[in-house]
Amino acid sequence: MRDSGRAAWRNWGAVAWPSFFAAAVATMVFFALVDPVELAETAWPHVAVSRELGYSLGFFGFWACTAASSLFTAVLLGKILALPSRHETEPGA
Amino acid sequence: MNKAIPAKLVEEPAPQRLYAAQAKVYPREIDGRFARLRTSAVFVLLGVFYALPWLRWDGHQAVLFDLPARKFHVLGLTFWPQDFFWLAWLLIIAALSLFFFTALAGRLWCGYACPQTVWTEVFLAIERAFEGRRNERVKLDAGAWTRAKILRKGGKQAVWIVFALWTGFTFVGFFTPIVELAREVPAATLGGWEAFWIVFYALATYGNAGFLREQVCKYMCPYARFQSAMFDQDTLVISYDAARGDPRGARKKSADPRALGLGDCVDCAACVQVCPTGIDIRDGLQIECIACAACVDACDAVMDRLNYRRGLIRYTTANVVAGKPRRILRTRTLVYGSVLAVLLTTFAWGVAHRAPVIVEILRDRNALYRESPAGDFENSYAVKLVNKTDRAQRYVLSLPEGAPERIVSNTTVEVAAGAIGNVPLTLRLARSAGSRGMHAVTLRVGTAQTRELAVQNTQFYRPEVP
Repeated sequence: MRDSGRAAWRNWGAVAWPSFFAAAVATMVFFALVDPVELAETAWPHVAVSRELGYSLGFFGFWACTAASSLFTAVLLGKILALPSRHETEPGA
Repeated sequence: MNKAIPAKLVEEPAPQRLYAAQAKVYPREIDGRFARLRTSAVFVLLGVFYALPWLRWDGHQAVLFDLPARKFHVLGLTFWPQDFFWLAWLLIIAALSLFFFTALAGRLWCGYACPQTVWTEVFLAIERAFEGRRNERVKLDAGAWTRAKILRKGGKQAVWIVFALWTGFTFVGFFTPIVELAREVPAATLGGWEAFWIVFYALATYGNAGFLREQVCKYMCPYARFQSAMFDQDTLVISYDAARGDPRGARKKSADPRALGLGDCVDCAACVQVCPTGIDIRDGLQIECIACAACVDACDAVMDRLNYRRGLIRYTTANVVAGKPRRILRTRTLVYGSVLAVLLTTFAWGVAHRAPVIVEILRDRNALYRESPAGDFENSYAVKLVNKTDRAQRYVLSLPEGAPERIVSNTTVEVAAGAIGNVPLTLRLARSAGSRGMHAVTLRVGTAQTRELAVQNTQFYRPEVP
């Protein structure tokens, strides 16, 4: 694999992995205090939500948030989705 | 008029290569004291992991983090969500133990106990069984895709996948009763989320132990990044004795290294070949070193063959290498050790003295207060009683002696084992009583034998002006 390809993979890994970790911890703490069934009864009384579904939705919801935050950081640091520098876009450069 | 701007184009430097192409690491198989120690750690830890969910205790699964029922069973103990505090406490104890053992003995965790190390060992063993020893593996990867190569690689992948799925199944078995799970898998009646998490955890195992391996330790592990903060000059590390080994060089077994001007290191590179993270320990302590001691075993074997003294690469401390005495008791270990002891003691005491019943009181949301026909004031509540024991209980509600209020609703309530009971509660305050406005009341919950098992506070309201 080319170096730049590896570096890109590693950058995506640096977004995915810490956010996964943080989401796992957040899920644990949140659902220790809140029962997903009770939460769903309050929020959407007409939808039957099992605990497994609640936990899983919660985890992926947290992961979406933490991953978005990590992704934003990576973009701001120019590690991911960075605009190509002038040097690279100039024709014939 | 146009004036030329005195500017010239400066060539941008070629983009710097931040990452060297990752060479695949082919750790060589090794036998020795530490390899055997690690193998036994693998057997013990994985044995515990795979066997624990099948263990029964009093008719239920001995260790079950029953998420659907929101109850954790650990042997004879049942933890409720309200006991989460103790789980957090336990995690702090685990973190502090890691600090303590790191300060004392370096990366023991990485080398012997980390799931990454343990599962990688198993995946490596499977790889060895199908693809042979290190040289054969290197040759196989370099060679063409023959039938034999497809069979070997395919066989390895098949066993890896089965093993990973079994791992995922066991993992989910810690969270949903494993006996039911085992019945559901062949019958294909598995719940969607259970199936999902089995596959998810299997993928994680496969990816980490089969594919990423040492890269997890090098790039992903947070502990690897901060463990050096726990290190000091007296921490046990794996170290090459440069004073004794250098200058390195090949020689005949019969030759006298001193006459040749050589140290004890024969530069055979055995220590490099066995390294699972692919480093050369002779370059000094590196962040990649997971202290697995494979290089110690490899070097000892070479030293034995040459009739040299063992320990050219060994577990030692920076101070010992520098000729200073070994110090085990020092501020760092004493502080970590005593804090750990305090946390452990409070944990044991706290868990043993948990109240067997949880009491929660909700005030009636509709009416702040009510006046009885006789003109007294009444407040209504809903009381939730969680019976944490594994026997049915008959609870008695009471107020402490001297309280101006009295209970006018039912004072006894039956709650089945491990169940939650709801009981309405009405307190009455005589008009003649002194207390006014919102004030605190304490509810006691006990049994016929023990008057007070738990107490809970709530508020009683009577208008300020009659």
